[in-house]
Amino acid sequence: MGDIASNLMLGLSVALTSYNLIFLIVGVVVGMIVGLFPGFGPAAGIAILIPMTFGLEPATAIILLAGIYYGAMYGGTITSILINTPGESATVASTLDGYPMARAGRAGPALVMQAVASFIGGTIGVILICAFTPMLAKFASSFGPSEYFLIVVLGLLLLTTMMGDNLVNGVISALIGFAIATVGVDAISGAQRFTFGSPELIGGIYFVPVAIGLFGIGELLYCIYTGLHVKEQTRMKISFRSKSFWPTKVDFVNSKITFFRGSLIGFIAGVLPGSGATIGSILAYSVEKKVAKNPEDFGKGEMRGLVAPETANNAASAGAMVPLISLGIPGSGATAVLLGALMMWGMQPGPMLIYDQPEFVWGLIASMYLGNVMLVLICILAIPLFVKFLDVPYRLVVPVIVILCMVGSYALHSSMIETWMLIVAGVIGFGMKLCKYSPAATVLALVLGSIAENTFLQSLIISDGSLSIFVERPISLVLTLALAAIVLTTALLKFRKFMSAS
Amino acid sequence: MLTFAKKSLLFGGMISAMLLSTQAIADGKYPSKPLDYTIAFGPGGGNDLMSRTLVKILNKYDLFGGQNIRVENRAGGSGAIGFNYVAQQKGNPYHATSTSGNFLGTPIVSNTGWTYKDFTPIALLAQDAMFLVVRTDSNFKTLEDLISYAKSNNLKIGGTGAAGPERVVAGLLSKAAGIEFTYVPSQDDAGLITSLTSKSLDAIVANPSEVSGQVAAGNFRALGYSEKKRSTVFPDVPTFAEQGLDFDFSLPRGVVLPGEVSDEVRDWWVATLKKVVETPEWNDYLTTKGLSGNTIWGEDFGVFLETKDKDFRGILTEIGVIK
Repeated sequence: MGDIASNLMLGLSVALTSYNLIFLIVGVVVGMIVGLFPGFGPAAGIAILIPMTFGLEPATAIILLAGIYYGAMYGGTITSILINTPGESATVASTLDGYPMARAGRAGPALVMQAVASFIGGTIGVILICAFTPMLAKFASSFGPSEYFLIVVLGLLLLTTMMGDNLVNGVISALIGFAIATVGVDAISGAQRFTFGSPELIGGIYFVPVAIGLFGIGELLYCIYTGLHVKEQTRMKISFRSKSFWPTKVDFVNSKITFFRGSLIGFIAGVLPGSGATIGSILAYSVEKKVAKNPEDFGKGEMRGLVAPETANNAASAGAMVPLISLGIPGSGATAVLLGALMMWGMQPGPMLIYDQPEFVWGLIASMYLGNVMLVLICILAIPLFVKFLDVPYRLVVPVIVILCMVGSYALHSSMIETWMLIVAGVIGFGMKLCKYSPAATVLALVLGSIAENTFLQSLIISDGSLSIFVERPISLVLTLALAAIVLTTALLKFRKFMSAS
Repeated sequence: MLTFAKKSLLFGGMISAMLLSTQAIADGKYPSKPLDYTIAFGPGGGNDLMSRTLVKILNKYDLFGGQNIRVENRAGGSGAIGFNYVAQQKGNPYHATSTSGNFLGTPIVSNTGWTYKDFTPIALLAQDAMFLVVRTDSNFKTLEDLISYAKSNNLKIGGTGAAGPERVVAGLLSKAAGIEFTYVPSQDDAGLITSLTSKSLDAIVANPSEVSGQVAAGNFRALGYSEKKRSTVFPDVPTFAEQGLDFDFSLPRGVVLPGEVSDEVRDWWVATLKKVVETPEWNDYLTTKGLSGNTIWGEDFGVFLETKDKDFRGILTEIGVIK
């Protein structure tokens, strides 16, 4: 423990210089703004802003980028709640209860609680980083393809809890996502699938334009279809003085265990490379729904349904730093971009980093504490400003969001093809919404589909085609048993329900 | 059929490009115009970093005749878009781009409309070769151990991608050593490293920059290096050739100009880049990226590209990725 304290002091001495503090503030504010744009998540935000860090000291640069990373996580939730448009896949789960709450006039409490939840999740995450980095790094490094596959299956299994009432539509939505994920070069055989000879499609269909299209454009088209743009708006008044702005005591009391449960689930998901904040937030949401006495309220504006994914995705972004720092393995898209940046500044990510560059590593960790404090303050103080979004007439919002979506999907790779993908995805998203399919299931299947396919095939290549690899390795065995337990209990519950009904 | 207008445009373009290159040199003052440096990949990647380091050095030491250098990322299609753009500038000496693995790989697997032959080779500035790496706690102390084990056991060697440079190195190794093993392709570098740390695989073929941290920490041991000569950054790791396996493979991190630029321009660039590789900034870049600094110049670089292209095609044909 003394070690951690002295290391943290070292980190604080780096992070607390006025120069670095200014960059931290710049980072979190820019990050929040970036996160507000539909489709712009931390990964996109960091990628676009990396050029800003040229010429900075590595410690300052990583503090700036980490600020963007955290800021975007906070900002992304705001749009999830207010306009049902998640900035990236990790905040998809936050729309499930966040948006209904905003519609029910509880936007204020929802936004304050998400800030508090993010703060708690992020802070618990950073505390866990300090305490467990070496130990967790060892854990992460014992994950081979078979373990990854099982983890992803676990995630996909939990998808079903997000699909709403119509399971068939949900499964079809997920299958669409899997289909999109097969486009491009197959990592296992090297063969091109569904590229039709186009070099643009070799790299596959990227997540960002599809997500922005399905959620952003699709939602816009649906709103226009339902005539939202011609409807008179009921002005939403939110100010600090009004009583309805602050969450009630009941909100806090109900969520008190959720804060910790969500943080823990998120952090563990974050540490496991390849899963990260998306799986963390879904896991936390579904666990919360499973343990709740009132699961039928979830999806209709239940506070815990927002708190769980929010604590989880912020704890996961902290957790994702563990394999990044200790192994040089990114746990998510955003940390993959960070890894690229680290190497650009001449750092050599890997087990030696923490010994070779203690100021850098601990400076980064200390800046995460400070970043979280700053963000919760900025977030709560600026909420009335963000809620003003809802007062702007819809006919003015539409063109702005369309422009942001277009620019966002073009800017990432300067690709016109991806801009077309955005438009096509938008039309599909509208159709899905119209026919009650689940765009969220599509997007998550798109993200997880190729990982599942690759790791499954790798496992089978390693085992010469035998499925025994999933029970022979100790961690695989534990995961397989967990999977079996989940499937069996669900089936058993269904069966009992069926029996008692008949 | 080309219309008359298009034809005359094309013709005019060719004339002006020819004039441009001859005129510039005739005036004896190449460069007399700004340079367009195209990066065929997005910001933050390996090609981007090399290009920007290079341009930074050119600017810092005022090596481009006081002229401006415009750097632009033209990403898409694994380099297909950006390299195509430069290939279109036939004869224009004011365009340049950096090569990397995809410069050879992308035209092989897809119909790009250009190959390395459409460019003027200037210099190979850094060699991006591969390590064969095992866990330190494994029984493979030397390459010899690994090969003799593979003769009677089913060895599993991993690498990133099914048809990338890692696959080529694995294929060449298998042929040179006369052994067979299972190649397990990984979808990304992170998955590859944990495949080895988690004891799912026996060995991996990986870029030095991805594993040098693990090697320095004592977790991994590098058994062989795929360049012709030892790496300038990791001189302790023996090459495969030294250990009796007659093959080498590395990706070309170099500079090319559009096709058909004059010899004078090429010689000017060779001379200039020779100054670039002497700078401490370039040395820093090589060290941090784990790239080897053995250089190849002008025509010889063209020959190098040709042999690597042949190796690449050979292995990819053998494993059935291309016909």
